[in-house]
Amino acid sequence: MADVVRFASMGTRVELHRFGAGDDDALTAAQRAIEAVDDALTIHRPSATTALNERLMAGQGAAIDDALLFDALVAIEELHALTLGLFDPAADRRFGPAGWSGIAFDRNTARIEVSQSVALDFGGFGKGFALDRACAVLRAKGVVSACLSAGESSIAVVGEHPLGGGWPFAIAHPLRPDEILVELELTDESVSISSTVGAGTNAPERAAMIRPTDASIVSAPRCTVAVDRLGAHAEAMSTALLVANEDRVERLLNGDWTRRFLFDFPRGAAIPINQPG
Amino acid sequence: MTDNDFDLSRRSFIDRVLMATAGAGMAAAAPWASAAALAAPVAKGDRVRLGVIGTGDRGRGLIQNIAKTRNCTVAAICDNFELHLAKGRALVDASTRAFTDHRAMLDAGGLDAVVIATPLDLHKLQSFDAFDAGLHVWCEKAMARTIDDCGAMVKRSQDSGKVLQIGHQRMFKPTYLNAVRRAKEGEIGSLTQIRASWHRQSSWRRPVPAGATDRQINWRLYRDSSAGLMTELATHQIQVSNLFFDAVPTRVMGSGSICFWKDGREVYDHVALIYEYAGGRKLIYTSLLNNARYGCEEQIQGSKGTIEPELGRIYKELPPKELALLRMQADVASGKKRAVPIGGATWFAELPVTTPGEPLGWGEYDETMLQFEGFGEAVRTGKPLPGLLSQAYYASVASLLGEQAMDSGQILAWPTSLVAI
Repeated sequence: MADVVRFASMGTRVELHRFGAGDDDALTAAQRAIEAVDDALTIHRPSATTALNERLMAGQGAAIDDALLFDALVAIEELHALTLGLFDPAADRRFGPAGWSGIAFDRNTARIEVSQSVALDFGGFGKGFALDRACAVLRAKGVVSACLSAGESSIAVVGEHPLGGGWPFAIAHPLRPDEILVELELTDESVSISSTVGAGTNAPERAAMIRPTDASIVSAPRCTVAVDRLGAHAEAMSTALLVANEDRVERLLNGDWTRRFLFDFPRGAAIPINQPG
Repeated sequence: MTDNDFDLSRRSFIDRVLMATAGAGMAAAAPWASAAALAAPVAKGDRVRLGVIGTGDRGRGLIQNIAKTRNCTVAAICDNFELHLAKGRALVDASTRAFTDHRAMLDAGGLDAVVIATPLDLHKLQSFDAFDAGLHVWCEKAMARTIDDCGAMVKRSQDSGKVLQIGHQRMFKPTYLNAVRRAKEGEIGSLTQIRASWHRQSSWRRPVPAGATDRQINWRLYRDSSAGLMTELATHQIQVSNLFFDAVPTRVMGSGSICFWKDGREVYDHVALIYEYAGGRKLIYTSLLNNARYGCEEQIQGSKGTIEPELGRIYKELPPKELALLRMQADVASGKKRAVPIGGATWFAELPVTTPGEPLGWGEYDETMLQFEGFGEAVRTGKPLPGLLSQAYYASVASLLGEQAMDSGQILAWPTSLVAI
């Protein structure tokens, strides 16, 4: 049996493909899990995150009552450290370079305190985090083979490919879509692709990538790919690699040449080629 | 700008008009433009002598453009408001005669043609008087206050054997002509819709100086002298729509309201209309006076792209993306395992595409000058620029028909009793 659901969430198009075993309502339940994350983490309509941001932007602390938001903050705290501070959902040009380091999150009391105005924007992390929760739901519903996509830059797979072995993916060159940057096989893993160039980078709702160290906009033409057991981790790593300088790139790649990739492009080639002219 | 600079930019402008109008398709679509561009310069003493009726803001702008031409000269000016007449005098030689009554100007003789830049309701009377005096007429758009009066002006021009030319500067603008050429060559595919707007953040109400009346200065706001947004702004863009569709509308529906500027004006400050063309094509038009976010633009929408001539840009439609995950489903069903292509930036919801497009180019020159060189040539030869009057006539009729549709709340068909040109 193979079935699929497609819906809009997390500001993009989400597809959930299930193959073989699993409860009939597995995909519906996975969709609900993703939508719940969207409801909690979105900053584009009223949510637990926008309520929190109102207080943070006023320089005030807040209790975290929403369980999903709390879990997300726990994950972010870990990922901020894991990425040497380069994954930073509080990086914001309006407030300078303080970012997440200006936030004190106490998971024991579920409170967040700030030393100055900040605001959270979960961006790609939210997609990975949502896919993780959807994968957990699918597994709980007996699904052994599934592929989940959030906008095709965030992919998660459950189990093996329905024909056996890993799920094969070919990451397209962002400037020359007919060329392949790298091919990967995933099993019970997630992949995140981040890019400063290529299709969609000028889309109206796409926020500029901010370098947390100085709150500057990252404009160098670069594409990064990160694979991890967890989608949230993959998203944080691909984002960190995108903004990292040479020294930190080395440390982030950490010799893992099969699961983390960074592609720098000459500036002259950094013209999106899918536009006319 | 030195004379030499002006000669170079003028030559460049004319070359662009000729390039934009080259080819059999464009010769049929915009024959007036190349005819005007090929107008021969004439010696100063042989220039077409124009009498300008109306020296308000627009009339004075026209005087300045006429001064740039190589075949026309302002021989007289006329305005019944002394302040405007004084400002007009400041733009012409001291020897240029000035009048407060257009009939006196016509009676004084020494003219080949008149230029009418007065309130809309005066166009018919003043053009009739000029034709009766044996003169040719260049008249600001829109043509007249009613559809019947527009037809009467065309008929009087035909009966008198004199040229009637209406001011639609976009018909001489290289950016527009180039856009039409590229559309006709199929670059943006089949044209099915034009979205046009002229949005301003302005009351449109001018201060009334001493010695003038409100209706004299703010004639655009009152029904007896204007159809407001329709005749002052929409008529330009309806003409553009007719030009790109190479047709006139089949019918029009619309809604108008005095929605924001409730200051005693009689004309709508918000209009929204749909003009239908044969084959289901549409012009969707809005104009308003309290929000300038979207400004003045025509979006020429085809199956392969979009042209926005005011911005001077052409955009190609992006090819539909192959649904990689859908292919994966089919692969699995057929027992095939191959890499699923993914990547690039995240797919976004169907929000406006913001790719920058490419420039149409050639928009930096004032095309009003070319209108007058074309008019001067028409007067000298006694032959109207080909195709021009019908474009203006149909645009004026369409704008006034739109007004009627909004007033009546009815869908109105294109009139069948128009004067043949």
